[in-house]
This record gives sequence, C-alpha cells and structure tokens, in this order.
Amino acid sequence: MGRQSPGCLVGPLLALFLQAASAGDLSGSQVLEEDALPENTSWDAEEGQGNESLEHAFFSVDYQHVQVPFEITLWIMLASLAKIGFHLYNKLPSVVPESCLLVFVGLIMGGIIYGLNDKSPPVMDSDIFFLYLLPPIVLDAGYFMPSRPFFENIGTILLYAVVGTIWNVFGIGFSLYGICQVKSFQLQDVSLLHNLLFGSLIAAVDPVAVLAVFEEIHVNEKLHILVFGESLLNDAVTVVLYKLFRSFCEMPAIKTMDVLAGVGKFFVVGIGGILVGLAFGMISAFTTRFTKTIRVIEPLFVFLYSYLSYLTAEMFHLSGIVAIIACAMGMKRYVEANISLKSHTTIKYFMKMWSSVSDTLIFIFLGVSTIGENHEWNWPYIFFTVIFCLIWRALGVLVLTFFVNRFHVNTVTGKDQFIIAYGGLRGAICFSLVFLLPDFHRKKLFIAATTVVILFTVFVQGMTIRPLVDLLDVKKKRESAPTVGEQIHIRFLDHLLAGIEDISGHWGQYYWKDKLEYFNSKYLQKFLLREYDQPKSSIVLLYEKLERKHAIELAEAGQLGHTPSPLSLLNSHRSVTTDGKPEDILNPDVLENIQEILARNLFRIRRTVPAYNRHTLPGETEPAEQAKEILILRHRSLRMELSENDTVGSSKEKDDSCSAQEDSSPKPKLCRSLTVRNAERTREPKHNRSKSVCVISALQPGGAAWANKKEAEKELTPDI
Amino acid sequence: MGSRASTLLLSHSQITRLYSRFTSLDKGENGTLSREDFQRIPELAINPLGDRIINAFFSEGEDQVNFRGFMRTLAHFRPIEDNEKSKDQNGPEPLNSRSNKLHFAFRLYDLDKDDKISRDELLQVLRMMVGVNISDEQLGSIADRTIQEADQDGDSAISFAEFVKVLEKVDVEQKMSIRFLH
Repeated sequence: MGRQSPGCLVGPLLALFLQAASAGDLSGSQVLEEDALPENTSWDAEEGQGNESLEHAFFSVDYQHVQVPFEITLWIMLASLAKIGFHLYNKLPSVVPESCLLVFVGLIMGGIIYGLNDKSPPVMDSDIFFLYLLPPIVLDAGYFMPSRPFFENIGTILLYAVVGTIWNVFGIGFSLYGICQVKSFQLQDVSLLHNLLFGSLIAAVDPVAVLAVFEEIHVNEKLHILVFGESLLNDAVTVVLYKLFRSFCEMPAIKTMDVLAGVGKFFVVGIGGILVGLAFGMISAFTTRFTKTIRVIEPLFVFLYSYLSYLTAEMFHLSGIVAIIACAMGMKRYVEANISLKSHTTIKYFMKMWSSVSDTLIFIFLGVSTIGENHEWNWPYIFFTVIFCLIWRALGVLVLTFFVNRFHVNTVTGKDQFIIAYGGLRGAICFSLVFLLPDFHRKKLFIAATTVVILFTVFVQGMTIRPLVDLLDVKKKRESAPTVGEQIHIRFLDHLLAGIEDISGHWGQYYWKDKLEYFNSKYLQKFLLREYDQPKSSIVLLYEKLERKHAIELAEAGQLGHTPSPLSLLNSHRSVTTDGKPEDILNPDVLENIQEILARNLFRIRRTVPAYNRHTLPGETEPAEQAKEILILRHRSLRMELSENDTVGSSKEKDDSCSAQEDSSPKPKLCRSLTVRNAERTREPKHNRSKSVCVISALQPGGAAWANKKEAEKELTPDI
Repeated sequence: MGSRASTLLLSHSQITRLYSRFTSLDKGENGTLSREDFQRIPELAINPLGDRIINAFFSEGEDQVNFRGFMRTLAHFRPIEDNEKSKDQNGPEPLNSRSNKLHFAFRLYDLDKDDKISRDELLQVLRMMVGVNISDEQLGSIADRTIQEADQDGDSAISFAEFVKVLEKVDVEQKMSIRFLH
C-alpha cells in the first residue's frame, strides 16, 4: 500500500501537467498563430540558406492540427487515470464517494489553469453536456434498469418525480422570493419569475449524482429504484417548467391560457418522449432481425438508435431522457434475442465504459468550471437557497410518503424516507441549465448559488449519507447477539416469507403485465424476433453447460447412474446410524467461528440487495452469483437423489433431456422433462414416478423420498 | 365459501385479490394449481427454500391444490390484528396465530412428520441456505450447536416446544406476515 500511493499520485499529476501545458497552449494559441507567420516568412527567407532550414524541417511541432482531438483525449485520459488512482488506495472510496474526489480533482485543475492564465478556465459548454456527456449515462441506466421493480413501483416513482418536483419548484421559488423582499439583502430586483425560474432548475434531482453516491451505501432494492427512477423521470417536469418560466420571462404579460398551455405541454413532453423512444426501440429491434450475416456491426445499431431517439426528442423539445430510457427498455428484450452472445457482451461493456467516462468527465468539468469569475457572491441568498432546498425536499417527501403509504401496501419506512430526502442530490444538469439562462444582470448570482448547492450536496450530503444510514441502523440492533439457532431460524423465516410473497404476488400488477405479455406473444414477437423459438439467457446456458459436463462425467465413469463423489448427506446419515455422536460442549470461540461463518455464507434474501450496479455487469453482481449458486446446488441435489435411487437397485432408467423454456418473465424457469421408464424387468417399481415437467418436482414427494431413501440405506448398510 | 372464509378470517377484498392471483397463476385454467404452476414464478427458482414452500401448499400425496387450499396456506401469513388478540379464547385458534405460524414453519423443517427436527433435517435445510464455501464438517458443527442450544429434553432433536422457545424473542408475527394481506 505504501509503495502504491506515490504511484497513484504520479499518474494524475502527470496528466495534470500535460493538461496545464496544453491549456497554456490553448490560451497562447493566438499568440502562436501570430508567431507562426513570422516563422513561416523567416523560414521562406532562410530556405535559401540551407543548413538551418533543414534542421527545422526534421523536427517541427504543429499543434493546431491535432489540438481539438488531442485535448479531448487528454481530458478523458486524466479522468481515467484519476479513477485508477482512487481505487488503488483502498480506504479512500469508502469514506469519500468517488464523485467528490472527481470534483476535487476538477477544482485543482481549474485552479491550476486559472493560476497559469489569469483567465477563467474553459467552462463546460451546455451543448457538450447535453448532447455528448449525458446520453451515455442515461442509456446505461435505462438499459440495465431492472424492469420488474421499476414497474412495480412506477406509481410511487411517478408521484415523487412529478408531484414532488413541482412541489419543490414552487416551494423554493416562492420562499426565495420571500427572502428577496427583505431589504437588507439588496435583492429587491430579483423578481418572482426569476426566482421561479431558478427554482425550476435547482429543484431537479440529478441521476448522475444520485447514482454515484447510492452505490456506496447499500440500500435495499426498492429504495434504490425509487430514488433512481425519480431522478430519471423528473427530467420531463424540469424541462417543461424551465422552458415555461423562461418563455414567461420574455413575455410582457402572462395570461391563464399560457399557464394551462404549460400544463398541457407537460403531458406532451412526457408522453411524446415515451412514444419517440418506443418507436425507435421497435425500429431497432426490427433492424436487428436481419443482422444475422453481419454480426460485427450489431452493437452499433443499439447505440445509434438510442442516440437518435434522444436527438429526435430534443429536436422536438420533448424530454430526451425519457425517450432514451423508453427506447432502451423497449428494445432490450428483442434485441437480446436477436443478436449473438458476443455482440451482447460488447454492448454491455461499451455502455458501461462510455457511461463511466461521461460520468467522470462531468464531475471533473464541474470542478473546473467552478473556479473563475463567473460568480456573484451574495451570501444570504446562497445560504437560504441551500436551506430551502433541504427543507422543501424533506417536506415533499414526508407529505408524499404519507399519501403513498395510505394507498399502497408496501410501506416506505421512516428510514427510507430519510434516505430519499437526504439523497436528493443536485448535479450537473442544474449546472448546465443555469449556464443556458438568458443573460440578465443577476445571472451570476444564480450561477454562484447553483455551484454552492451542487458542491454542498455532492460533498456534504454525499459524504455524510453513509454514516447517517449506519447510525439509523444501529438504533435498531438488538442488545444481545442472537444465538446460532436464532440466526438460522430467522434467515429461514425470511426466505420463507420472500417465497410466500412471490407466490401471493404483488399489488395488482399482474393484470397489465399479463395483457402486455399476451400482446407481445401474439404480435410483437412474430414481427421483431428473428427466430421464433425461445431465447436462451445466461442461466439457461449455464444449465446446459452443466448438463454437458455431467454427461461427460458419466461417460468417463463408465456407468450410468453412478455418482463418483460420495454424498455428504448420505455420509452424515450413516455416521448417525453407525456411531452415536458424543455430546461435546462447544467452546465459545467455536461459537464465534460459527457466527462468522454464518454471517459470511448464508444466502441473502432476494429483496435486500439491488440488482443494478454502476460498475459491474448484471451477470456479475452478487445476487446473480448467488442465484447461480442456488441453482447449481439444487441441480446437484437433484442429481444425487436420482442417482441414489438408481443405486438402490430398482430398475429405473432415467432419461434427462433439458429443454429450457422462457416464459413471460425475464429469468427463465427451468424445466426438464424427466421420464422414468422401466427397463427389461417386469417387476413393478417401488413407486411410480409420474411424468413431471420440472426439475423440482423430482424432489416432490418430499417426505416420501426421504423416507424411501432411509429404507434404501438401511438395506444398503448390512451389505457393506 | 362465505362461511368457510370466515374461519380463515380474510376479508372480501382480500379473497378477491387472492382469487385473481390464483387465476393468473393457473395457466391450465382448470381451477387447480399444480407444482409446475408454482415453479413458473421465477423468483421461487432462486429461493433456497423454493421447493419446500411449494410442497407446503399441497397436502399429502396430492398433486393439485384448489383455491381453498391456496387460501388456507396463505392465511397463515395474515398479520395479527390487535383486536383479535382479545377475542374469545374458546373458539378455534385462527390460522394466523403465532403458534400456528410457527407450526407452519416447523412443518417445513420436519419432513418426516415425526414432530421433531432431527440433525439430518436440520442439515438439509442448512445446506440449502448456505453457499458452497462451507465444508460438511463446519455445517455439521453448526447443526450440532443449534440442536445443543435448543434441546432441553436431551433427545438430540428439536421438538415443537423447543422450537417455539428458541424463537420467543423474535417478532414472529411481523416476520411471518405478508404486508398486503392487511
């Protein structure tokens, strides 16, 4: 660790100096151009002289030629090196979230550039942000969004996104106007409309910042999806309100018709965005139907169509974010069925890569743009802005949750509410919007206030949210540590409850889901899928791989139905029957050992861990690994049971054919047809295994199978 | 159906709700659910106790469960309301009482129905609930410890009374209640 830390600093420092040099060139480029002319003429003049001009010809620097791509690449390089640097030093990301560190690097960069040039550093152009940096992040979020929890909680999410944002906007706008009335603050000239305009851009919760911070704290799936979904969908509201108030600022008089038009505009923006997104999604799915012979460019279609949907929506002043999310979620299913596995992996990796780069660049630019002369520091205004943002968000969450809890059955607990309220981080979207404001005399004040709010939320709220969450958890801990038995039984009950909840289904979702599935299977699939047979997902492929492996094992062992490895349960059972286990009192440190083992190894309940993770692919996250493990275990135990029954001696031949079948749900159910036939013997088998369709049903006569096993083993033991 | 439902203490809206869920699961549309219908629920496939939970719905030797059986099993998970606690003690205990909830859980452990959780049965459940990193000896010692903590009559198995005693500090009513059935 000691050796690594200087190394981790060298990388960013090197990049910093490269940057400073290039920035020096940037500002001095004009000077260079002027110098170039005399150089050129002098070169022409010297041409005749011979030797000196030859030296010039061998080594010349032409920076302008490559300037733009060179600098872009250097910025991206800086961002990536900074990321490596942070992760090399392990302790840091747990205390300070990555976004803070990146902003900090940006601040340093901005400071260096300012110091070198005495001029303001390049401000992040709003166009660059909205057209190039934001789409990859939102695409990544939309593509990997776990759709089941999203749609289950869609009502709550929409409520928070739409009503919550409107509440925040008007609350902040009006209260800031109230502050402006106070004479001593010298803010009289900031009108109500200006304040509302400011409120509309500062109220929106930013998906980039939220995502960055929420990864560090491990919240349960539902909470994660609530805040995440809200931050994505409030874009529609923000866009409408921002444009509305801006146009109001320019209009001499405001009539009620205009206000109503604004409300109508909101629906147009939202629904229009969804329609544009879905249209492009369907076209994309249709296109991938024909790419069988040119697999190499398949990933390109996904990105092109998503980006097109974003740009088209922006062109019509609809919500680009909603469009790109709708596009990604709509096309995902069909595209994944049509494209090859390698294209699929490529898409996933590229998306993660681009969104990661974008994310890092945004935060660095945020830091860089902060330094400079763009600000007017009116401290009371800024101070009250921060206060009001916090207060109105907390109030909004409280009131809305009250309503949600009355109508919904999955209650949002107090702790959840705190996290939602406190996790309402503002980020780069606010920043870009404030730069897009029309130039009026108080613009710098708004810029300053926005900067402070963003820095406050990212740094203070980002860093303190984890300790506060832990603090809230600690209060609910028990006084004494649970005994081993309690731990096991509690986990048992948790799994049981999760299973029962899944069986009993969730509140009213299935009606629409079934309808959609019906529509899908009848019409959409025929149109959009290349092969109409059922697609295979990774779990199914894993199963098939296991099948092949087992078949090979069997072939090697030479005999069907002979398990090479001893069955652990059989062993333990034998040990109980053969020797009486001595009652030994286990030591306390053995107990601690056990507690530790259990804590590490007990399977987690499905609901507590979110499936979406910024930095890893879906197949590699912990819950997915756990799911695979559970399936492997069940597969193994099924095999053991089947092969045991073979060694029992009754003549049964088992015939396994694995046909994996995917139904309406994203994760496939595994079905194997298991037929048990009698071989040549005419003797009737002990129990008739009915033809059952699914894996688990082989374990079906739960108690009966075990009872039979015991009988079988008792027959075996005298033989041995 | 009306009078029977009242012994299960489900309200009309809850029954309607469960019925719509029942029909959406029943793909064969013959009024009963088979095991395959349950296995079609994807989350159950990756629940470590999935098989056992499904088995709990089916009575001994049966392959199909009708709506009444479905409701009956789910009724165990209804939350206990405060006004029920002071109800008439002479009537039959409602299905969602603490004792019945625990009995339901006990039956999931106790496969051979001898009213005891033997070391074997405990081992099976443990094996289902932990990952592959635990060796069999470790698992065995965990099982031994569990039995040792709970066992009071010295038979190296956990009887129902001992099971209840282990969980006396745990808020079973909350842990074994589905929130929606409120």
